[in-house]
Amino acid sequence: MPLSTPSLILRQRESPTARTVRAKVTLGIAASFTLLVTSLLPASGASSGEFKEPDYSKFKVEEGQITLEFWSWVGGLDKVVKEFEQAFPNIKVNVNNVGGGPTEYTKLQTALKAGSGAPDVAQVEYDFLPSFIVTDGLADMAKYGANEAKPFFVPWTWGQVSPDGKVVFGIPQDSGPFALNYNKKIFDQYGLTVPTTWDEYAQDAEKLAKASDGKVKMGHFYPTQAPWFIGLAWASGGRFFRTEGDTWIQTLNNPAAEKVLTYWDDLVKKGYVSTIPGFTAEFYTALGSGQIASSVEAAWGPGVTAASLNDKTAGDWRAAPLPQWSKDQTFSSGNWGGSCDVVTKQSKHPVAATLFAVWLNAAKGPVVANWINFGIFPASLSGLAYPDLHQPDKNPSKFFGEQNLVQIYFDASKAVSVDFAWAPWFAFVNDNFNKQIDALFTGKMTPKQALDAWQNESLKNAKDDGYDVKGQ
Amino acid sequence: MRYHKTALLFLAPFLTVFVAFYLAPVVYAIYLSLFIKKRIGIGPAKEIFGGVANYIRAFQDTDFLNGLSNMFLFGIVQIPAMLGLAILLALLLDQTRNIFTRVCRTVYFMPYGIPTAIGALIWGYMYAPNLSPFNQILRSLHESTIDFLSPGLVLFSIGNIVTWTWTGYNMITLFAALQNIPKDLYEAARVDGATEWNVVRHIKIPLVIPTLRLLFIFSVIGTSQLFTEALVLRPLGYVADNITPNLYLYLTAARDANYSYAGALAILLAVLIFIISGVFLRRVGSR
Amino acid sequence: MTRPGSAFKAPRYLVFALFFLYCILPATWIAAAMTKNNSQIFTTFGLWFAYPTHFIENLVGLFAYRDGIFVQWFGNSLLYAASISISTTLVCAFGGYAFSKYDFPGKKLLFNFIIATITVPSTALVLPLFLMLNKLGLLNTMWGVILPSLVNPFGLYLMRVFWDSSFPNELLEAARLDGAGELRIFWGIGMPLMPTGLVTVGLLSFVGAWNNFFLPLVVLSDDHLFPLTLGLHVWNSVSHAAGGGKPVYNLIALGSLISVLPLLAAFILLGRYWRRGLTAGATTG
Repeated sequence: MPLSTPSLILRQRESPTARTVRAKVTLGIAASFTLLVTSLLPASGASSGEFKEPDYSKFKVEEGQITLEFWSWVGGLDKVVKEFEQAFPNIKVNVNNVGGGPTEYTKLQTALKAGSGAPDVAQVEYDFLPSFIVTDGLADMAKYGANEAKPFFVPWTWGQVSPDGKVVFGIPQDSGPFALNYNKKIFDQYGLTVPTTWDEYAQDAEKLAKASDGKVKMGHFYPTQAPWFIGLAWASGGRFFRTEGDTWIQTLNNPAAEKVLTYWDDLVKKGYVSTIPGFTAEFYTALGSGQIASSVEAAWGPGVTAASLNDKTAGDWRAAPLPQWSKDQTFSSGNWGGSCDVVTKQSKHPVAATLFAVWLNAAKGPVVANWINFGIFPASLSGLAYPDLHQPDKNPSKFFGEQNLVQIYFDASKAVSVDFAWAPWFAFVNDNFNKQIDALFTGKMTPKQALDAWQNESLKNAKDDGYDVKGQ
Repeated sequence: MRYHKTALLFLAPFLTVFVAFYLAPVVYAIYLSLFIKKRIGIGPAKEIFGGVANYIRAFQDTDFLNGLSNMFLFGIVQIPAMLGLAILLALLLDQTRNIFTRVCRTVYFMPYGIPTAIGALIWGYMYAPNLSPFNQILRSLHESTIDFLSPGLVLFSIGNIVTWTWTGYNMITLFAALQNIPKDLYEAARVDGATEWNVVRHIKIPLVIPTLRLLFIFSVIGTSQLFTEALVLRPLGYVADNITPNLYLYLTAARDANYSYAGALAILLAVLIFIISGVFLRRVGSR
Repeated sequence: MTRPGSAFKAPRYLVFALFFLYCILPATWIAAAMTKNNSQIFTTFGLWFAYPTHFIENLVGLFAYRDGIFVQWFGNSLLYAASISISTTLVCAFGGYAFSKYDFPGKKLLFNFIIATITVPSTALVLPLFLMLNKLGLLNTMWGVILPSLVNPFGLYLMRVFWDSSFPNELLEAARLDGAGELRIFWGIGMPLMPTGLVTVGLLSFVGAWNNFFLPLVVLSDDHLFPLTLGLHVWNSVSHAAGGGKPVYNLIALGSLISVLPLLAAFILLGRYWRRGLTAGATTG
C-alpha cells in the first residue's frame, strides 16, 4: 500500500539528516520489533486482561514545564488529559474544540499557511490527512519516537498515517469499519431476515415497503457524506486515488463505484431508502420514530446514535456483518472515517507532543473511556482486545441490546482492504459529491453521469490548483 | 477652517486601526492574488508570480459567474420585497399610534438584534424537512412536504432569513424619517383639501426617498456579502458552494487553502459592487 | 396628524398582526425547544411545548456543560461588545469631528475612500488578517477580536452627520475666539451636545460586536475566548460532524435564546435614544 509521496519529499529535500533519520528509524523499527516479540512471549504476571502499552520512557521529553495545545472535537477530553498530566507532571495540555471536521481544518490550514497559530497536536481524519501532508506543515513524528507505537495499532490504520512505512504523520485514533445496524424490533414486526447479500437486502426492502405501505424505509443513503459512499465502494473493491511516480491518478467513476451507486439509486427511486442528510436533527427524528429500519454504519456510528436518540428505540438495535455481493466471496468491509492525531511543525515541543499523541491513542484510560463514553472505536490493538471494552450495561452496547459490538466491528476491521489512499484535494471532492448526488436523486442525472460529473469537476479543480493529476 | 495638524490628530485613532486592520490586509490580499501555485510532482506547492492569471481564471470560472448571477437574482427579488414591506409598515405605523403599534415597533426590530449565525441556526431547524413545523402541519393535512433547502428553493429560504432579520431595521429607519417630516406640511396639505392617500403620495414618500436610497445601497452591499446564513445552513443538506459569491470565496480560501485565488475573487467582487453602488448613487441623484 | 376614523383600519391591523407573528415565529420554536430533551426535539411538534418540560434540566445542562463554558462565552460576548462599543464610539467621534469641523487637502477623497471600503467582502481577508494579527502577536487574544472591530466606516459617517447637526459652527467659532484649545472645545463643549449621536453609534456598534461571528472564527482557537455566536456555531458543527461529536441540540436552542436577551434589554431600555438618532442619521442621506 505504499504511497510514494513522503519518500519523494525526502529525496527532493536531499537533507543530510535524511540518512541519519532513516538510520534512526531503522533502529527504532528494530527496537519496536524486539518489543513486539517480547510482548508476545508469555511474560510473568501477564493476565488476559492486561492492556499492553508502548514504553513511554523511550520518549526523551525535555526538562522543565511544557504546555501543549491540542485541537480536537472528541468529547470529554478535559478529564482524559488530567490523567495524562498526572502521569507526566511536567506536561500540561490545553484542549480546544474549535469545531468538528472541516470547521477545524479551515483554521488549521490557515495557521499552517501563515506559519504560526497552529496547535502542537491536532485531530485530523484520515481522508483529510493528505491535504495537510502536502502543506509541508506536519512534523515527521518518526523523528520523535513515533515508531515505538507502530506495533500497537491495527496495521491498515498505521498505513494511513505512515504511507511509506518510515515517515509518520499521525497516530491513529480510531477507525470506522462498516457493519449493518438494524432495528430488530422492526425486522421482527415485519418478518424480515437479516440480509447477508445485497440481493437479500433488496428483497427485504421490497417486502418492507409493501407491508408497511411505504411508511417504513429499509435503509438509508447518506447524501452528503462522500466518505460513506466511498467506503461502500471500497468494500466492493473500488479505488479512488493513487499515485504513480510523480503523478496522481483519480478515478472517482471506477466500476465498483458505479455498481454501488446504481444499486442504491435503484432502491432510492423505488422509495425503499431514505435520503435525509446525516447527523441532522431530522435524521435522528426518523431513526428514533422507527421510520428507518437499518443503516450501514461505521464502528463509531452506534455511539452517536445512542447519544442522539437517548431513550427512543433504545435496546431495539443490533449490528450484523455488512451484506456482500455474492454468497461465496471473501468477506470484505469498508471504512468510513476515523481520525489520527498529528503534530505540527510549529510545535516547540515535538517530542512531548508525539508522546501525548501516542499516549492518547495507546493508553488504557483514554482508549477505553472514549469507546464507552462516545463510541469511538479504537485503532489500538490492545484496545480492541481488551475484554472490558465490551460493557453490555453501558451504551452503545446497551442501546444495541447488550450485543458485543466490539466483536462485530473488529471482524469488520480485519476485512478492510489496506490498499487505499486519499488525495490532498479531497475537501473539494467531498463537497462536490453532495452536488452530484442531489442531481442524481432529483432525477437530473443517471448514476453513471453523476459519477462522471463528480470525476470531471474534481479533476478540473485539482488541475486548476496546480496538481499533476490524470483521470485514469 | 484651518488647523490641518489638529485635524490629523483627531483622525489618528480611526486612521490607525483603519490602515492596520483593514487597508493593509486588503493590500496584502491584492498582493497574494498575483501568485499561483506550482507543484512539483506530488510534493508541496510553491507560490510563483502569476500576474493576472487568477483574474483570468475568475472570468472563466463558471461556478463564480453562476454565484454572481445568484446574487443578482437574489437582490432583484429580495431587496424590493424587503424594502417594500418596510416602507409599507413604516407608513402604516406612522398613521396609527397606540399601545399595540408601539409594541409592534419593538417586536419588529427584535430580529435585527439576533446574531445572524443564531438566526440562521434557528431557521435551519425550521427548514429541515422532517423537523419543520410547517412540514409537520402539512403532513398532518396529508399534503406533500416542502424541501426548503432544495436547490430550487434554497435562495428563497436564505432570502426569508435576510428579510426576517432586516425588515424591522429598515422599517424603523424609515419610520424615524417619517417622524421627521415637519408637521406644518400636513397642515398645509389638509388646508388644501388633500386626502390621506394624497398626503402619502406627495409628501411622505418623496421626503423619505433619500433614506430609502441609503437603505437600498446598504442592502446591495449586504447582499453581496451574504455568507453566514449559507455557511450555517450547509451541514443541513446540499447547499451549493456558490450559492452566494462570498461563500464561494470563503470556501476557496478556507477549505481549499487557495488564498491567492480567493483574493482575486474578492477584489473582483468588491469592484463590481463598488460600480453598482456608484451607479445607483448617481442615477437617483444626490440632493 | 392623522384624521380619526380612517377608513382602512381593519386590514391594517391584519398586516400588523401577520408581521408580528412572522417576527416571533423562530422565538416560539426556540421557546418550545427549551422545554424538550434531545430526542424530543426530533419527535414532537416544533411549535408546541413538551410536558413535563425538561426546561430546568436543559438550563442546568447548559450551564454545566464542559464546566460552565457557556457562562464564560456569555461573559466574553459582553466584554467584547462593551469594549468595542465604547472604543468605536470614541474613535468615530474623534474621526467624525475631524471631517465635520476641519478642512484639509484631500478631505473629500479620503472620506469617500473610507466609505467605499465597505464594499470589500471581509471573507477574503481571512489569511491577510490572520497574518497581520500574527505579526502583531494578537492572534488568539481578546485584542485580536477587539482592535479590528474598531474599523467602522458607517460609524464614522454617522458621527460626522451628528457633529454637523448637533454642534453649530458658530458655537465652535465663538469658543475659539474665547481662546479655548481645540481639544478642550471638542471635549468640553462638543461632546456634551452629542448624547443622541453617541448612544446611536454606541448601540449600533454594540449590536454589531455582539453579533460578531466571522472575526472571532478566524482569530480565536482557544475556546475559552469564544463569544456566544462562535461557541454555539461550534457546538452546532460538532453535532453535525462524524466520529466523536456529541449532539446537543436542546442546549443549542436554549443557548441561542439566552444569547439574545442582553440585546433585547438594551433595545427596550435605550429605545428612545436610537430612535431619535436614526432620525438624524436617516434624513441626511
